[in-house]
Amino acid sequence: MMRTILKPLLLLVAVAICTPLGSAPAQAAPDARALLKESESRHRTKTQQYSGDLTVVNKEGKVRKKGWNSYRQGYAGDSKNLIRFTDPPEVKGVGFLSLPRPGSDNPDQWLYLPSMKRERRIAPQDRDASFVGTDFNYEDMEEFDHEKYKVALQGEETLDGQPCWVISAIPLEKGSKSIYQKLILYLRKDILYLVREDLIRKGDKEPAKRLVLSDIKNVEGHYVAARMEMTDLKKGSHTTVTLKQISFNRPQPASRFTLQNLTREGGD
Amino acid sequence: MRTLLLLLVLLCLPCTALAEGFSGYAEVKGFAYGERFAGEPYGAGWGTLYNKWEQRLAESQFTASLRAEWLTAPQTSPLVFDPADRKLRRPPLSVPELWLRVPLAPSHDLELGRFQLGWGKTDGYSPADAFLPRDVTDPFADEKLPLWAVRLSGQEENLRYQAVLVPVTTPWRLPPLGSRNAPIASGALPEGTRFQEQDDAPPLAGFAALRLLATHGDWDLGVWARSGVRPAPILEFSLDPALQTGPVPVISVGRRYPREHGVGVEVSRVAGPYVVRGEAAALFSADPELGDALIGTLSVERGFGDGTLLITLAGNAIDPPVDPTLLFDRGLLPALIVAWNQTEEWGAWKLVWDCGLKRGDGLIKGEVGYNITDTWKVTVGGDLPYGAERGPLGALHGARRLVAALRRSW
Repeated sequence: MMRTILKPLLLLVAVAICTPLGSAPAQAAPDARALLKESESRHRTKTQQYSGDLTVVNKEGKVRKKGWNSYRQGYAGDSKNLIRFTDPPEVKGVGFLSLPRPGSDNPDQWLYLPSMKRERRIAPQDRDASFVGTDFNYEDMEEFDHEKYKVALQGEETLDGQPCWVISAIPLEKGSKSIYQKLILYLRKDILYLVREDLIRKGDKEPAKRLVLSDIKNVEGHYVAARMEMTDLKKGSHTTVTLKQISFNRPQPASRFTLQNLTREGGD
Repeated sequence: MRTLLLLLVLLCLPCTALAEGFSGYAEVKGFAYGERFAGEPYGAGWGTLYNKWEQRLAESQFTASLRAEWLTAPQTSPLVFDPADRKLRRPPLSVPELWLRVPLAPSHDLELGRFQLGWGKTDGYSPADAFLPRDVTDPFADEKLPLWAVRLSGQEENLRYQAVLVPVTTPWRLPPLGSRNAPIASGALPEGTRFQEQDDAPPLAGFAALRLLATHGDWDLGVWARSGVRPAPILEFSLDPALQTGPVPVISVGRRYPREHGVGVEVSRVAGPYVVRGEAAALFSADPELGDALIGTLSVERGFGDGTLLITLAGNAIDPPVDPTLLFDRGLLPALIVAWNQTEEWGAWKLVWDCGLKRGDGLIKGEVGYNITDTWKVTVGGDLPYGAERGPLGALHGARRLVAALRRSW
């Protein structure tokens, strides 16, 4: 269930790649794949940890909040992740552990519920299911892997005064598991960081949802958007994620990503 | 008295989140019953104040919590100090948690104090977990009691272990016998029969248990063994001539706690979108009324969007020597348990069906929780036991009820 929250960050870091590529004088339009690949390779981090706040505002304006701590070691398909909810009181202490399994697209995942006092193995989630009542669904939380998409440069656009490359990404597989037909990515030219993503569902022509990344900071040499907002353009609701106490490449104790640690109440 | 005053002060101090590390809730709950039962009113109310304090001490973790309650029915015990929940009735003040966890090595911990255990793999019914003491004052709440215990646990690669020593028996807490929550089958005794429950001290010694767990690919495996005093009592009914002074019989009820030994295995496997879980346990006792048991469970879980379906089958291959209802944790077996949990934008709801396959009784339970805000929540629901009155759930027909609760968390 927490896989969800990973995605924003991973998207940020993965796609968000910052490279001076965009600032180089570009007589010929660069190749979209090269842009994504270059930024990914330059912005991989060995570890990452942060505290996150999540706010969901429905179309009536009703507000819900959640808070969590996130720890990651490794990158993309090889990453280990631990998430622990801190707020609201009802979900405080709920933990999620995801460990990669060699040769499998699906990581091993466990949930710890303090009310049950034991961990539970969970199955891969329905990709279209909402993540804990937010505007993110489980697919939105997955790491964006450009190699699974046919990507093409669509042009250039200026967002909030920042020139951006506009790249389309279409799932490569026929009959893909993706719930989306196409993604439109907006990469800031100067740092090649993802600042917007329009998500078009299968069978739709217009985007169903829009992810906007802002408050971009350079933390320990890595660009990261401290604010992400996912808007459901059909429902009129939006979910905002803000990240605090972000750090990269800090050594993580080996015992952090274990079931023993997941079941430690009051622990990380 | 001084201890009680101290507990009260501790309870009231952190009424709000004064500092990081305090959490808790205040809740009022109302029950509306479908009928009067043995003179009990149509309604009842519970009020609860619960505070928890969690503190990191370097690498160690300290947690303490205190619960204060006020119940209109059923009766509670007077304000007495009952730190191990060994008294007959639910105390107005209790200490659900009071423990310290000390790391012995990066993945090895020692825990001491009062805490809850959660064992087993299958939901709805788990033979590894079912013997642990419950407070069934509210027979539909499945409230597990914490234990005073020492636990050593750890992990090396994919192997984990838990060794638990429970030096003090915390027994199952039953509702007042003859009340709507613990009725005696109609016709079994003359109308108006009164019960005099003896507040016998349960045996001091508890039990010891060892659990080994391993993870391999899609599989989670476990084996366990335990030995010691079984927390569920065997009730002993007697007719003391000295008590027969009125027009209705008075039956004296004592409790004894036999020893029991058990071994079990537990398995969980992810199969596509399903999680399949299973357990088997062999339980041995020389007690002629408890006897042996061979219990197996199998459950399947599947997510559908924001909902989860859970189906569990549980059964005992050995017929118990007495009416299984009198053994509490084995009372409903064989049973089918079906549950649907759904998360919504505004909260959550669930439907549960417990079905006794032998006597045809069961329970349908529904609950809707609406989050007014992140800290205020309203819950409404109902519990509908049905079927043969000789079954453990069918017997509770007088406890059919609607429930409404308002909770403020912090």
